[in-house]
Amino acid sequence: MNTLSNAARKPLFPRGPGLGLEYLLFVILSIGLMVADSRGERFRPIREWASVALRPLLWVTSLPHATVQLGQHLDSREHLLAENRELKNRQLELAGRLQRMAALEAENQRIRELLSAASSLQSRVLIAEVLAVSGNAYRHQVLLGKGERDGVYRGQAVVDADGIMGQVIAVNPTTAIALLITDPEHGIPVQVTRTGLQTVALGRGDGQTLSLPYLPGNADVKVGDLLTSSGLGGRFPPGYPVGKVTQLRHPAGENFMEAIAMPAAQLGRGGQALLVWNDQPGATLDASAVAALMAPPPADAARRKPLPGKRVPPAAPERRP
Amino acid sequence: MRRGGFGAFLASLLLALLLQLVALPDLLEPLRPLWLPLILGFWAMFMPDMPVLAVAWIAGLLCDVAYDAPLGQYALGLVTVAFLLRRLRGTLLVFPLWQATLALAPAWAMYAFLMFWIDGLTHHSADAARRWLPVLTTTLLWPFVAGLLNGLLQPRNRSVLP
Repeated sequence: MNTLSNAARKPLFPRGPGLGLEYLLFVILSIGLMVADSRGERFRPIREWASVALRPLLWVTSLPHATVQLGQHLDSREHLLAENRELKNRQLELAGRLQRMAALEAENQRIRELLSAASSLQSRVLIAEVLAVSGNAYRHQVLLGKGERDGVYRGQAVVDADGIMGQVIAVNPTTAIALLITDPEHGIPVQVTRTGLQTVALGRGDGQTLSLPYLPGNADVKVGDLLTSSGLGGRFPPGYPVGKVTQLRHPAGENFMEAIAMPAAQLGRGGQALLVWNDQPGATLDASAVAALMAPPPADAARRKPLPGKRVPPAAPERRP
Repeated sequence: MRRGGFGAFLASLLLALLLQLVALPDLLEPLRPLWLPLILGFWAMFMPDMPVLAVAWIAGLLCDVAYDAPLGQYALGLVTVAFLLRRLRGTLLVFPLWQATLALAPAWAMYAFLMFWIDGLTHHSADAARRWLPVLTTTLLWPFVAGLLNGLLQPRNRSVLP
């Protein structure tokens, strides 16, 4: 260290209190600036002047980035074509997804309507195991694991997660037999959710489909319409999905048409079923049913009908959490 | 002599500010060394004649404006680093280069912590891991920067270094 020159050695012995004091001054200045700056906009002019001074510097620092972007301009044709193709594919995919979105939106709407119906009627339910599905092609029945001892009664509606399955026709002490809606002897009053059109869905006996016979020739029914139980007759609770229209038929020489529907419920499968107690068997008959029967223009009736219920349900789920 | 040294001082600081602000690829961004403390530290240590503190403060203010930080944040950090190295230069100059490199790591860490702290106070919290990687790269870079700058300045100020 002897080789250190005078110039280097001199500051090793500080010239008085200079350095520490200088540092303290700058620290106080900095902290004061920070505090004042966080309180308000007083230093806007300083910032503006400084940013003007910094502009050339910032321009220089942006040069490498700009060069990279220049490289992108001179990108190869193949790359651009590939990118174009990729973007087109992506656009197609997104358009497809958007279509599904529309379908989901409509479904959501329907489900909300169902929810309103379900919440307005609700009553006691009981879960029953499906013990057996009838093997007989002409009798569409299931054997349920709940019977008289559980309070099951003849004519009780049987529902699964997706819709109405059928009704109980025989009650044993611990089991019950339910007739499915696809049985040719079975009929269920339904309404078309979209229009409110009331009709009866009969089983066609093939185990797969329902028939809506004798619809007026100009009835507003479309393929894809959802059918829900109307509650007329008081046997089935209103508002449960029954099926979806899959086909429309105009028999030659007749002035009515027939609609074919697929049941919504998973019929002919094992698993669980829900037995529903319909609390007021007669109540649905007088008010809603008569009103529906008395209103001939179905389109108007339908638009008005779901409304009173519709206002209730959005509030109901929100209250729960 | 001093005038030329001052010009080199300002030029190196300008370069440091440039390197501090230049856009880097995302992968390298967290590794960006603390250029300004590095260069200021060098001058504080080897060229005590320069008004390091004042220049550090002004450079810090420029940094604050460039980063849109509260005015005074980087200024405080840079002044602190410059003061520390200036104060301890007597000790640090005695060390061999590799020991000085290690001994300086706490200074960079302190700068990073100061920035971290003020950012926390002013609710500009950033990813904590990103704060400490620059300390490492700055430490690794110190011997090269110190060697390079010394090499550049030595012909002119032969008397400064052994």
